[in-house]
Amino acid sequence: MTVSVNEFIPETANTLIEEVMERSGQNLLSCYQCRRCAAGCPVAEETGYVTPDRLIRMIMLGDYENALNNPLVWKCVSCYTCGTRCPNGIHTARITETMKKLAKENHLQPERLKVVNFHGTFINSGIRWGRVNEMEFMGLYELKNTFPDINQFNFKPVIEELKTQARLAKAMLKKKRLHFGFELVKGRREIKKLYKKIKKLRKKL
Amino acid sequence: MEMAYYPGCTLHASSSLYDVQIRLIFEKLGINLKEIDDWNCCGATSAGKVDDFLAVAMPARNIGIAEAAGFSEVMIPCSSCYSRTLVAKHHLIDNPALKEQINEELSGKIQGHIKVSSILEVLLARVASGDIDEITGKKLKGLKPVCYYGCLQTRFPYNVPVPDDVENPQGMETILKVIGVKALDWSYKTDCCGASASINDEDTAMNLMARIMKDAVARGANCMVVTCPMCQLNMDVYQDKFCEAHNIAERLPVFFITELIGLAMDISLSELQVDRHFIDGVALLKGLDPA
Ligand code: SF4
Ligand code: SF4
Repeated sequence: MTVSVNEFIPETANTLIEEVMERSGQNLLSCYQCRRCAAGCPVAEETGYVTPDRLIRMIMLGDYENALNNPLVWKCVSCYTCGTRCPNGIHTARITETMKKLAKENHLQPERLKVVNFHGTFINSGIRWGRVNEMEFMGLYELKNTFPDINQFNFKPVIEELKTQARLAKAMLKKKRLHFGFELVKGRREIKKLYKKIKKLRKKL
Repeated sequence: MEMAYYPGCTLHASSSLYDVQIRLIFEKLGINLKEIDDWNCCGATSAGKVDDFLAVAMPARNIGIAEAAGFSEVMIPCSSCYSRTLVAKHHLIDNPALKEQINEELSGKIQGHIKVSSILEVLLARVASGDIDEITGKKLKGLKPVCYYGCLQTRFPYNVPVPDDVENPQGMETILKVIGVKALDWSYKTDCCGASASINDEDTAMNLMARIMKDAVARGANCMVVTCPMCQLNMDVYQDKFCEAHNIAERLPVFFITELIGLAMDISLSELQVDRHFIDGVALLKGLDPA
């Protein structure tokens, strides 16, 4: 395995670590690189060089670009194993979640667009109707996933994707696990209002 | 007794069999579940990846409604909803300014004292009181399950009171023992099934699930028992797929703990809707010795 050398970028080091610590609520400075987190991470074999300890290191060094776009940020399944085992209680899942949001705010192309589409669509549905209605949610999610291809007149992957989902839907239907009802929450405006308010407040800062 | 109940979105949709089973067995236990009025989605595992304020505000509204209605305990069967609601409650306790800010827009105001319980905590209290033993006349013999807890029953991204051992929980094993079932020991009870990765990062999720399955098979299990609808759906719906991809010949039905308890209470398999699993569990349960 080739080990890449992390780059120290003094101009961004302070701002990056401060922002991540503040937003994730994790004290990254207490990390002493014992790598207990790396030993238990279930996706470690798929994230290559980047394990939780190394993500923390990248952030500390101010390596903005690599810290925002690396396999761990997009493959972390938020299982909280690293966080409960870390002798310093650092929850890397909260850090990867923060990096996802930072990437979006900085308009960076994510390594896994589907992950962004999934969580974004889920929350939009949840806020719009008050509850996530599985059929509507899955439809919108697939629309988002296939949109870039449709836009390029690239229909083959679109058809493949739709076929896979149709097979799943058919099997779900057979087991009576597909639900056609649509649920609406009367008080959904309360959350929408709160969200609007907080967004306004953030803009002022 | 009355208890607030938060089913969450999946229990009103793809996992409605779990909702049915819960209502059936709780009725027999004499617990009157009251669904939180006009509850909303808790944000599940997505909110924390989209907006941290929403991750607290969404479950907060449900807490507020339940507290305003005078409940002292809410039971949440889905691990994700349970984890999100419990974490939100403690965020609000630790941050009174945030609580104030959220309360301004809520018609049901949050106090922050309601007990947020997983289904295991509620059932374990009924094991301790002897209630479950008393009404489960039938003891199930011939089941060799592994209990699968997944991530969110014992691991939380925030400082909350943890209900069971983090790495080796025993809640399900304790309950099953009362109905005559001895669960097998194994190493993957708190490993991750990938959750939503089964839809947005398929290969990763299939890898994770295959590892869990391999250990269950190696231990000689003939079924899996869960409490989380997300774990259930993943391990059940994708089982053929990940087993084929990872050369696993065996298949294991994935039961909700409520269907085994229900069966021990002499509720019929059809009432429990056991036929709604992808990997058939009806044959195994029908073949059990009623003792
Ligand atoms: S376990 Fe904690 S202290 Fe050790 S390397 Fe990982 S994050 Fe750092
Ligand atoms: S929370 Fe993420 S980084 Fe931590 S062990 Fe789980 S998958 Fe790995």
